[in-house]
Amino acid sequence: MTAPADPNDEVLAGEYVLHLLDAEDRQRVEYRLRDDQRFQELVYQWEARFASIANEIEEVDPPAALKAAILAKVTSGPQKTSVARNWLIGALSMTAVALFAFIAVGPLFTSDAPQAEFQSELVSEDRSLILVASVIPATHEIVIDRLAGQPPAGRVFELWLIAEGSATPVSLGLLGAEDSTRIRVPDAIAPGVRTGTIAISEEPIGGSLTGTPTGEVLATGKFDDL
Amino acid sequence: MTNRAEIEEMIAQVALRDESAFSSLYDATSRKLFGVCLRVLSNRSEAEEVLQEVYVRIWHKADSYAVTGHSPMTWLITVARNLAIDRLRRRKAPTKDIDAVFDVADNRPGPEASAIASSERALLDACMNELDPSRADAVRKAYLEGQTYKNLAKHHGVPLNTMRTWLRRSLQALKECLTR
Repeated sequence: MTAPADPNDEVLAGEYVLHLLDAEDRQRVEYRLRDDQRFQELVYQWEARFASIANEIEEVDPPAALKAAILAKVTSGPQKTSVARNWLIGALSMTAVALFAFIAVGPLFTSDAPQAEFQSELVSEDRSLILVASVIPATHEIVIDRLAGQPPAGRVFELWLIAEGSATPVSLGLLGAEDSTRIRVPDAIAPGVRTGTIAISEEPIGGSLTGTPTGEVLATGKFDDL
Repeated sequence: MTNRAEIEEMIAQVALRDESAFSSLYDATSRKLFGVCLRVLSNRSEAEEVLQEVYVRIWHKADSYAVTGHSPMTWLITVARNLAIDRLRRRKAPTKDIDAVFDVADNRPGPEASAIASSERALLDACMNELDPSRADAVRKAYLEGQTYKNLAKHHGVPLNTMRTWLRRSLQALKECLTR
């Protein structure tokens, strides 16, 4: 048996479990939880004590489509990400090489590699998010470079295209955690990119389930020729 | 009907990346966890989003379940509640559509597995009953709805510091009662 815990710690752990602490205190506790096993135990104890309050919560059927969406995320998820990641690392190093070459050689630089021909800047109202989307028409690719801004924990940024004259956004894909994401636009919608509007929204991990933005649309933009 | 041992086994299999165990775990527990998300968020579409995060988290963190020493439902409910409250705190403005929530809630009795052992519940109830009713209510609201000190103080018409003192003393009293 160990000595009884400090009563202040007991209460603090209880407040933490109830989510009563303000953000700063909560963060302090989380920092402490990293290596204070004793305090972690107090947290587990409160979690166990309070969990039976949840008995009174009614069960509710989630929409049937949700299960398929979740299964799709976890089952195909890891494999896809690793492939995507490898590919992205490749793409990124290519971008780095291209960028270096561009800086080094400047306007004399010529290459057979397809070039971005138009660009759009996506800036949120408070300027906390700044993205540059560059379109490479030859390969139907959009490269999104993140100059500022991260999604909040547990959220991702999703890129959308609203074709000219259309009211319905089409998802172009999710932005990766890296500062640059390369997205291949489906051939069918690629011709609409130049004249369309692109938009960025904040979505749950895995992206919007509904086919349209569900979170806040943070910025929109039109393309200009480079 | 799924019992505690079966759920425990499913979580163990999920930790080994067993997709069919994950599917069974979802079938056995998603109604309860969706109820938890709805209770905290009072908003269906947010609860649906959070429920997805919850199961993605369960998939990735199933191996950490054993470390907590929790019963399987305690662990699952804790994961769901934490993510739902995180979501609640990120909200810019409250968007309560409680009516919409209760329209869809059904009253079917849940499977055995979704309840925490009744002896634990009886003990907590007994100790909550020793608290002043308004303080017990504040503790329950904090747990079930993720209410903040500020909201609780407003709801009970007391200053913020009074509410903080109430809650801290209640936690102290609960702890003493539960470990008596």
